[in-house]
Parts: sequence; C-alpha cells; structure tokens
Amino acid sequence: MKISYDWLSSYFKKPLIGGPLPRPEKLAELFNAHFAEVEGVEKVGEDTVLDLKTLADRNHYALSHLGVAVEAGAILKKDLVLKPPARVAIDASVPAQAVEVRDEKLCRRYMARRIEGVTVGSAPAWLRRRLEAIGARSINSVVDAGNYVMFDKQQPLHAFDADKVRGSIVVRRARAGERMTLLDGREVELREGDLLIADEEGPLVIAGVKGGKRAEVTESTRNLIIESANFDPTAVRRTATRLNIRNDSSKRFENDLSPHIANQCLEEVTALILEMSGGKAGPITDIYPSPAQKWTIEADPAQINAVTGLSLPAEEMVAIFRRLWCEVVLCDGRLFVTPPYVRQDLAIAEDLADEIGRIHGYDRLEARQTPDVPPTPIDKAFYWSEKAKNILVGLGFSETLLYTLVPKGSFEVSYPLASDKSALREAIAPKLKESLAMNARNAELLGLETVRAFEIGKVFPAQGERASLCLGVCQIKKKKGVTSESLLRESLEALKAGLGAAFEVRIETGAFGVVAEVDFDAVVANLPAQGALADLSFVRLPRDQRYKPFSPYPFIARDIALFVPSGTADSAVSSAIAAAARDAAGKLLVKGPDQFDRFEKEGRVSYAFRMVFQSFEKTLSDDEANAFMAKVYEAAKGKGWEVR
Amino acid sequence: MKGHLHPVTSIIREMCSIFDGMGFSVAQGPELEDEFHNFDALNVPPDHPARDMQDTFWIKTKPGEAKKVLRTHTSSVQVRFLESLAKSPAGPRPFKIVVPGKVYRNEATDATHEAQFFQFEGLYVNKAVSMAELKGTLERFFREFLGPSAKIRMRASYFGFVEPGVEVDVWYKDRWLEVVGAGIVHPKVIAAAGLDPQTWKGFAFGFGVDRLVLMRYGIDDIRHLYSGDLRLINQF
Repeated sequence: MKISYDWLSSYFKKPLIGGPLPRPEKLAELFNAHFAEVEGVEKVGEDTVLDLKTLADRNHYALSHLGVAVEAGAILKKDLVLKPPARVAIDASVPAQAVEVRDEKLCRRYMARRIEGVTVGSAPAWLRRRLEAIGARSINSVVDAGNYVMFDKQQPLHAFDADKVRGSIVVRRARAGERMTLLDGREVELREGDLLIADEEGPLVIAGVKGGKRAEVTESTRNLIIESANFDPTAVRRTATRLNIRNDSSKRFENDLSPHIANQCLEEVTALILEMSGGKAGPITDIYPSPAQKWTIEADPAQINAVTGLSLPAEEMVAIFRRLWCEVVLCDGRLFVTPPYVRQDLAIAEDLADEIGRIHGYDRLEARQTPDVPPTPIDKAFYWSEKAKNILVGLGFSETLLYTLVPKGSFEVSYPLASDKSALREAIAPKLKESLAMNARNAELLGLETVRAFEIGKVFPAQGERASLCLGVCQIKKKKGVTSESLLRESLEALKAGLGAAFEVRIETGAFGVVAEVDFDAVVANLPAQGALADLSFVRLPRDQRYKPFSPYPFIARDIALFVPSGTADSAVSSAIAAAARDAAGKLLVKGPDQFDRFEKEGRVSYAFRMVFQSFEKTLSDDEANAFMAKVYEAAKGKGWEVR
Repeated sequence: MKGHLHPVTSIIREMCSIFDGMGFSVAQGPELEDEFHNFDALNVPPDHPARDMQDTFWIKTKPGEAKKVLRTHTSSVQVRFLESLAKSPAGPRPFKIVVPGKVYRNEATDATHEAQFFQFEGLYVNKAVSMAELKGTLERFFREFLGPSAKIRMRASYFGFVEPGVEVDVWYKDRWLEVVGAGIVHPKVIAAAGLDPQTWKGFAFGFGVDRLVLMRYGIDDIRHLYSGDLRLINQF
C-alpha cells in the first residue's frame, strides 16, 4: 500500500516548528522495525510516498492511511487529531433505496443511500493530488470521493448511476452462465458461487470485485446510489482469483474487512460527494443481520512477558494497547483487552505479546540463551548420507545438487513453470549424465583428467519418495588399463567398504561416461544406528573465501612443446613461458601454463605446457589464440630454445 | 585428488555444527508433502491470502486422494516432529532440532530466485520459551558464522505458524540482509500436532540457505548452484 506522507501527517497536530512526523526516511525505518517493511520511499511532487508491504494478518486495517496513522501514533507515542465524524443532513424529498439481500452469508452487511441532483465534474485539486501521489488515477468527483475514503479508512465504496438501475438492488448469487460487461469493457461469464449486486435486468456489479458498465457513473449522471457493504472474504477471493481481477477493492475484502466501519465510511463519502458534486442525500438503508460484536482478550501480564522475554510492568502494556486504540482494563493483576473492531488479528494472548514486543521494540529486548535439554539423536538417514558424502569426496568426487523438476515422471506438477519442469525426477542419473558431459567439455578449464560427480537426494518413482545415491565418472585422459567403468567400480567398492554396506548397482555406460544409482534408503536401512554429529567431522569453513565467476563463452586450449639445452633449470623454463603467456594474453589467460610433459633426449630436455584462453566478453577466435601463441613462441625462441 | 562438497552442503554443515554447539539435533522430513503438514497444521488456512505468500507446486492427484505439494518450506517438519513426540510412548519432552532441506516455489526464476532452494529450519520446544531466547540463539549463531562483531535486528513480521512473528536481518557488508523468518510457535500448530499448547511452547526459525551461500561467497547467480557445473562446485 502506498502511503502519502502529507496525508499521514494530516492525522497529527502540527507543531510550531517542523512537521508532525519524523522525516520520511526516519519514519520508514521506524515502520520497518515496528510495523511493516517499507519497500520504497519516493518523492512525488511536494509529497513523499512510502511503499509499505503490509503483512497479511494486518491487511484488514493497514491498507488505509488511518490504519497506518494509528501505527505511527503508537510507535511515536503521539496522539492522533481526528476530525469530528461526518454527519449528513438527510433531505426528506429523497427516497430510501430498496435493497434485498438474498445471501446473508456472503453479504454480511449492505448499506445504500441515494444522492439526487449531483453534478459530476472533477474533484478539487487537493484531493486529486493525494490520489495521484499514491498512484490512483483521478476519474471524476464521485468515483474519486469513494476512492479517497477507501484509501483513507479502508472501506471500498461503489457508486451507481441510479437512473440506470431498474427496481430494487438485489444482492444474490450469480446463475451459472450469466454474463456481464465490466467497467473496463471486458465481458465475463459468471459462476454460481459468484456474488452479484443486481437489479431486475441482471448483474450490475461483481460484489467487491468489479463494477459493471451498465450503471456506470459518467459526466451526465444526475442521481446516485452509493454502496458501502461487506462481503465474505473467501467468496471475493475465489471470484477475484478465477477472473484474475486483483484491485484495491477485492484486496481489502479478501483480507476480512470489519463490517463495522461501513457506516462511518458511508457518511464520509456522502459528505465528500455533497461537497464536491452537490445534491441532496436520502436516508440510509442498512441490512446488517448479525452485527459485529466486540471481544475481550484476558491475559496475565506475566504470560505476555514470558512470551517476549521482557519484564514490562502491566501499566506500560496498558499504555501500548491504548495507543493501538484498544480499550484496556487492568483488574486484579490481569489484563482485559478489547481491541477496536478492525483488529480481528488480535485474538489470543500471543497476539497481545506480538503487539507489546514490536511496539516496545525488539531492539530493546535483551538476548538470552536457551537452557540445556536432553539430547535428541540426529536423523539416521542424514547421518549416513553425510558419511557417504565424506567418503565420495575423499575418492575425488564432486557433489552436485541437480534439479528435481524434469520433463517426465510419475508425479506431475499441476501448473508447471515450463514444459521441461513438469514432473518430479524418478532418478538422479539422467541429469547427472548431462552434468558429466558438460563438465567433460570443460575438463581442460577445470584441470581434470577424470570428471567424477555424485549426488545424494530425493527421487520420486511411482512407489513414492525415497533417497537415492547416484555417482558418475567420465575419463578424459586415456590411461592404459583404466576405463571410466573400472574407476567407478573401484569407487563403489571403496564406498561400500567405507559405509560397511553391501549393495548391488546397475552400471550404465554411454558417451557421457558411466553412472550408477542406488536406492539409498535401502542402503541406510541395513546400516547400524547413527552416531553423533561430531563423528561426521564437519569442518568449519574459511570466512574469506570468495567465488570467482566463470565466463559463459567457450575457451581455447593451446600447447607449446620445446627443447631446451640440458642444465637449464626447470623453473627458468616454466617461469619464462608463464611470463610470455601473461604478456601475450593478459587476463584472457585463464589457466596455465601447466607443464604436462618432460623428457630428455640427446642432451636436450623436452617440455610441453598447456594454457587455456577465454574471454568474459566474447567468443575468442582461433586467430586471437594463434596470435597469443605466436608471442609465446617468439619469447621461447628469443631464449634460444627450439619450439617443436 | 580430493573432490568437492557442494557449497550448499558446506554451509549446511557449518550451520549444523554451530547449532550442535547449542544442543540442536538434526531432523528430516519428506519433500513431497501433504496439504495438512505444509499448510493447514501450520495455521495457513485454505483460501487465506497468506497462501499467496507462497507459490505452490501442487502435484496432480487422483480424485479422492489427499492433495500433495512439493513442500514450500521446511516448517512442515515442525509438525511431523511434534506429532512423533505426541505419539511416542515416553510422551512429549523438551527438544531442540534443526532441519536442513530442499524446498520448492512455483515462481519465475532469475539470478536471485529459483524454483528449488534450501531452507534450514530450527525448532526449540520447552515449557517456557521466549523471544529473548530466540534473539540470543540467532545472535550467537551469526557471531559464530560471520564473526564476533556480527549484528542482527528483529523486525515485526507475519507467518501463520508463529505469533509473535519476526523477520531477522543481519548486518553484512554495510547493509541489512533479510535472512531468517522466526517467532514463537503458534499455539494452533502445537495443538494440530496433538500436544497441549498450554503446556508446550516453542520458538522456530527458518533460514534461506542459498542466500547465505550467495552472500558468503559472493556468487552472482543462484541458478549456478543447481546446474551441476563443476566450474562453481570445484572452487569450494
């Protein structure tokens, strides 16, 4: 909800010097700590607008300037200065509006009043300025009056052109297949659960959600029916969700508005309309079969202190509740708190503790440690999966955490984000194969002769959720008598021995290398009871390690092989090549030069180095890499070495 | 040559170790959860706008079958652990647990949002539990995790399953970062798990692990964490 700083200030007495409230940035900080997150503070003309992300449990009062002003008053210990409630003189010549409510469950209160002889024009500048500051479009002097009262006091209001309404106003459920055209011209089909405001001819408004075109107030409207009503939050939410209409009205009704405020808001909007558009007001029709009742929460101040951990005297609690407009009685050491109608969120002692904690301020709460309790053994599956991770990392495997959402599986998602994320994985292997293949392509960059990866995570085959362990190997550098499969088999044996487990796996071979996957729940089931967390030898991490970003562009690997005379120091060769490569490629040299070969022959020593070039800005061309290498060759030749 | 743990695992391990030092054990729960444990028992009723706070992956079920979701938070394990105590022959007792685990949100992904990520839940239950102890626990955690001068602040917030509810920010590199949601376990949650809320109280907290990982290592894109790319993993 956007809150105008000027509008909010109008609720407080202006001191002789300065404004009634702290400056907007300071106020935002206070709201952040005590009330709701402020997502933005923005200058709009002379005014400043605070964008408040009010909390779901407070939205039945906090989506209004008054609601926010009460919070500001409670936080700042300042009294609000309220104008006397609007009272409208009723003109006997204007008839009462006939209303029939057919569904008292979905329509908890319906108030209506006719105003006759209005001249619809534009609202005065002060009101338009306030609305525009908070991003509400000014429409005309009648609609703007309704919006103003809604943003000020929370109650959504609706105005009908009375001459376009046929007969009584009827509040009823829609009939299946009924259609109507909304104010924005969109035509919608209604369902039986939808609540309508209708007349003899048919639907006029989708209750609490959106007005219809038929009885729209325009410049030529002379007579009005003003509605101030209260609808069931769930019904409004369902209809609004289905029709994908989220607006200031539906949002307020969804959050369980108090029906109590309908009356005062109807008086206020009437007074504003008479002031801005002229006309005469008729009597109020009010259908309110079960009026809201006040409720009282009884609590022991010690109980509230026990929850917060404060030791506030009861009198201070009383003062906080009063500043939040609660009636409070302190009797025999017990608190009896009667919240205002709009504070339906206050129901139990914990709610009271919440108000005390946040208004008093958690920054003033002294931290304490919890007492010792008898130990609980750690989860067995967790214990053994961490053990397995230790063993596999020791064997040179890197741990992946791959996506659970995949294109196909036994468990399907109802509304997938994308077609390739529409089901839960039945196994880890398919994604691990992709990972092996991708990492094999980057093996030079990674400096790996063999890519080894594993994951322990949940899979979701048709039988249901279970843990799975999957590992894979892709041998990059050929070695005699060694294959990806032989490496994987060795690792599996080492894993079994490390865990003390026996299990069979199926090994799958392909272009990606080899993978094996095992039901880890079944493995754990046969393992002994878990040890303590300390047995897992978790190591504390260095605090200063930083991640080095990698380039999204391809790299180029190049080698240099050269002969140098015997007796040349190894380090002299490698540092000369490194310096030459750095001079040639600068930061585009991302790896190396790494020596990968050395042999002596006929009084000379042969060396081979590999280096990898890559740019963060573009794909390097062969020509560029060739140019770097030419410089390296040049440098080697300059030393009198022979480049092979 | 040694392999590499995923940075998410490393951070979870470090968190487990720090909380182990405060007497917290490690518990686990399912990722494919029923509606009761993920929402209803946590005082997030159907059709309540609070459910908007979490975009849920609903799983297709057959008619008559209980509705299933990919858990939207590790808080579902709170209820499961409490239930297991309520049903245990020895009866309920005070305990402290943490629950690291994968959770899911059905939202568009970008550099800071993923459809899957990790949470780290904490739950302490005893006969008297206060916000002051919650503050002390989280303060101690961050002093061990970030250094002895780490600062935190608690702000008023709302989650259906706690009352009072707070958001906890930590001061990191010259700004406040929102990293934990926490509060006193709502009596309705204790009752839904079959325990007497007059007797048993608790505090709960939930960390976003990914956020800590990104913050700690300066990783620029959350999506790198789940792509199986060793160019990231092998740095750790």
